Order: sequence, then C-alpha cells, then structure tokens
Amino acid sequence: MTYITATGQFLPGDPVPNAEMADYIGRLSDNSERLGKLTLRQNKIRTRHYALEKDGTTRWTVASMLARAAQDALSAAEIDAKSIGFLSTSTTQNDLMVPGLASQVHGELGLPPLEIASQQSVCASSMMALKNAWLQLKAGEHKSAIVGGGEFASRYFRPGFYEGTAALDDDGTLPSDAGFLRWTLSDGAAALIIEDRPAARGLSLRVDWISLRSFADRFGPCMTGGGVRRDDGTMQPWSHHPTIQSAASAGAFQLRQDVDALYRMLPVWMGEFMRLVDEGMIDPDAVDWFCCHYSAHSLREEMIRLATRAGCMIPEDRWFSNLATKGNVGAASIFLILDDLMRSGDLREGQNILLAVPESGQCVMAYAGLTVVGPGEVDTAGEAK
Amino acid sequence: MNAETGKPDTALARTHRGLARVWIDFETSLMTVPLVSRLHAGKWRRDDYLALLRNLRQQVVEGSRWISRAASNLGTDYEELRTLFIHHAEEEHRDYRMLEDNYVAAGGLREDIVGGEKNIGSEALSGYMYNAASQRDPVGMLGAMFVIEGLGNRIAGPWSKLMAEQLDLPPEATSFFTYHGENDEDHLEMFDRAMEIAVTSDAVGSDIIKHAKVVARLYRLQLEEIDNV
Repeated sequence: MTYITATGQFLPGDPVPNAEMADYIGRLSDNSERLGKLTLRQNKIRTRHYALEKDGTTRWTVASMLARAAQDALSAAEIDAKSIGFLSTSTTQNDLMVPGLASQVHGELGLPPLEIASQQSVCASSMMALKNAWLQLKAGEHKSAIVGGGEFASRYFRPGFYEGTAALDDDGTLPSDAGFLRWTLSDGAAALIIEDRPAARGLSLRVDWISLRSFADRFGPCMTGGGVRRDDGTMQPWSHHPTIQSAASAGAFQLRQDVDALYRMLPVWMGEFMRLVDEGMIDPDAVDWFCCHYSAHSLREEMIRLATRAGCMIPEDRWFSNLATKGNVGAASIFLILDDLMRSGDLREGQNILLAVPESGQCVMAYAGLTVVGPGEVDTAGEAK
Repeated sequence: MNAETGKPDTALARTHRGLARVWIDFETSLMTVPLVSRLHAGKWRRDDYLALLRNLRQQVVEGSRWISRAASNLGTDYEELRTLFIHHAEEEHRDYRMLEDNYVAAGGLREDIVGGEKNIGSEALSGYMYNAASQRDPVGMLGAMFVIEGLGNRIAGPWSKLMAEQLDLPPEATSFFTYHGENDEDHLEMFDRAMEIAVTSDAVGSDIIKHAKVVARLYRLQLEEIDNV
C-alpha cells in the first residue's frame, strides 16, 4: 500500500488580483486587455501568483520553486529527507531543454544520490509523476518518494516574447488562441511525500488506484508550445525552421490553446469518468471530496451539465477547488489542491477523495482514488490492513 | 435510489451511461475518418459534399423501412413502444428526398444520386439493421436509433456550419443538415420516453448498448468507405 503522508507548496510573491496582472505580464494593446477581461470572466480566477517581478525580472526557476515546495512538504513529514529513495517531477516546460527537471530539483534540494524521473506533458504530467512513484513503491523498489509539479508560465507571456513575431496584429493584439493562456496560467509549485506506510500521527491519504489515458488517436495537438501550426493542422517543430531567428519570428516559442478543441474534449473526459463508474472504480455517491483541476469555471459548468445527464453527477458541495484564489498552475495544480485540502482541517478518516486531471495538450484524462486514513491503518509488518 | 443523494442507480441510468460512452467514443473516433478530418481541417471541396450526400442517401432511404420492420416485430408487451416506432418511421420516411434535392441544388445530377449504389459500409449497416429489426421484440433497436438520432442532433449542426464556411452553397443545397441540426431535439425526447418503457432490466440495457456499438462502428465504416461500391 502507498500513502501520501505529507504535502507542501510554494507560491511566489503575494497574490496578484486581476487588476494588477498586466503590471507583471505587461500590456500588449487595448484589444488584448479587453480579451483578457473576457477570459477572466469565463475562468473566474480572482488572484494568482507570479514568479516575475513587476520589472520583468525574476529570482525563481521551476526547479527552485519545486525544491521549495518539496522542502515545505518535507518539513511537514515525519520521514528524514535523506532517506527519500525516489524523486518524481512534473512540469509543462522545464527551465532548460537539457538536462531534465528532476536533476535540477535534486541539485537544488541537495539530497544524497537517489532515483529520479522527469515527467513532461501538461497538467496531467502531475498524475504521471504520481503514478510512477506509486508503482515504484508498490513494486517494492523504494519505500518513500517526493512527487512534485511546478510551472513558470508567466515568463512566456511578457511582451518581449510576442513583439516582432507573426503572432501580433498590427495594433499589437494577440490572436485568441495565444491570448487565452496569457490570462489563464500562473506560477508556483507543490509537492507530496509518498511512503509505503501512513504517517504515525495525523491523517494520510491512501492511494487506491490511478487511471490515466491518452486520446491522441482522435485529437491533434490542442495546447502547443515550441512549434508553428501548418495550414494542414500539423505542427512544425521550432527546430525544423531554417534558423532559430525564423522560428522565433514565426511565433514557434509561444504557448497556444485551441479553445474550440478544448470544448470538444470535454465529453471524452466525462466518458472516462463514466467508464470508471461502470467498472466499479468510482462510486459517485461515495465520493466525499471531488478535487478536479479544471482550467476555467465555464468548463466546470459544462462538465456538470454532462454528468447530470449521464446520471453520475457528484453534488457540487463535495467539489473542492482553489482555482479562484491560486489560479491555474498546470502540473502543480492538483498537488496545490491536495495540500490545501490536507491543511483545511476538514478531512476525516474513511473519507474518499477523487482526483481528476484533464489535459488539453493532445487530450489526456487522469483520475485517482484516495482514502483518508489515520495512523491505525498499518500493522507491525508495515502492510496495510 | 441512494438515500443520501436521491440519485437513482437504476438499469435505466446505467443504460443511459453506457450509451453516452458509446456516443463519446463514436463522435471522437469520427475524427479519424479522412472525410471528417478534412472537413474539420477546412479542406472540403464541393465534390466531397456531393459524395457524402450520394453515399448517405443510399442508407437513409432504408431508415424508415427498418424502423417499420422493427415496429412490426414488437409484440403486445411493447405496444406503446410500437406506437413510438411507427410515428418515428412516418416522420423519417421521405427524408431521403431532401438529400436528393440538396444534391441537385449543389450541382449534382439527380440520376446519379437516385441510381446510386450502397457503399460496402452502408451494405453492412443496412444488413445489420434489417437483421436486428427482424428479431422478435427487437427492443435493442433503440440503441441503433440512439446513434442515428445523435447524428442528427449533435453532428448535423456543427457539420453544416463547417460546410457553409468552406463551400459556397445555397441554403436549398444544405437543408438536410441544417434541418436535422435544428429539428431533432424532439426526437431525443421521444427516445427518452421509449427508453423508460423499454429498459426494465440490465439485460435489456446491455442489448440496447450492444446495438448502439455495432451501429456506431458500421456508420463509421460507411463514412470510411465513401464511393467504395
């Protein structure tokens, strides 16, 4: 059996309200600001954190933020940091293309040699990192692990990343597929400590199952970075441009989101939920806490509509979300939710938690089932009852 | 009924869920069909539209006939269901003429669409429909109707929008898709009522879901095999 025994987070700076966002990510044009307000009305995010200063400089990286979150989790844990066997990280875009994020986080943490894995995808990379650690412990390869996710999206949203590229209109306005993410994503990191036994005091979360599925057989790239979409819909990687400058001016390094495709993916994500209900993994009535990482409030409303029609709606008073105050932090989001839930004081032994992490990148859906357990869960052999 | 949430966990709810899953898989897998992915990529030519109408017509012309046959095989236990099937068959039975008129308005020759042959996917689909409708008390046909009606209700609208964006067609050339996109809502209500009558057990529900799965796969085959006669 595998347990989340401690959680932690790191959010840079103070919460930034909507009215001050442009002080950090900069201003492109009046029209861009108008599209921004529209996006904010849809996602209903009120505050978020930025690792950028107002002057566009920073003292953070994904690796350093993730290391701080891991230290926060370790300080809440009983286990000695030096005995951690495995470090499993997740992010959408690493600070460097080479080496991997887990190497950099390991370096920042200064822990003794340990096994690492760097998972890169989009939001669901968090669940890939968790599943990797869960399997490592189940296989008996390690007794403990750090699992974490971190993002630093705001650095790509500064005006200097758009100016002089094909993306901007004559008046400096971004197309909506590039503008949407600018007003949606923000920065931070969160981490979990996973062990083969529950904590000796306080509550732990037993990880009962994790399901993750890709639907790239039926969806093309939807959220993209590092390439330019050709007329036929395929992506031209930045490295296939004749020069690095021409890749940059074509807008290859910008993050983009095909919002229409995002809404087409919703039924697929819900279909996965129905599959798990039918296979007996999820009992909607038995879920006490539904922790769903959704990128915008409007997506939440659409999900509710679909679930109600299929007779598997989890009542809204059991949904736990921090989207409005902490923003959409990609791979860090589900761990931020778990940390806030763990520290809320509202968890009770025996409660069931359902995690849901959809990824629009090329359509991934991940769910996991957790149970809140007390110290009595384990017997002397270290095996769960 | 779950006492805490008041949510029914009945054979009917399980069947609706199963059908929803079949639909989701069907709708998204359509994107792997070249004709459909090219429509979404904005690459359609008028010939694509004509081919779709010509191929669909050969299947749509059978629709009302297999529904009628299913109705004729529903026994006394399913009288109300039979009424619904007969109404439905009556509503659909001249639909193929709209396709023929659209075809001509889009620049095709009437004799080409009227005299057309079923493609190999349409053959498989029609063969299955008539066989299933010929069974005693063919309640499973509700699954077939679910898929066919879903096409009108959920696919026809978005497709007609994409077609209008890409092809310079007069309204009289696209009425089949715009009509079904706008008018099939009440068909879904009819379907919900039919499901309430029919799904008395999980066995019936499984049968309906199985029919939906087969029809979804064969419908996709029909689109994959455009003009392969």
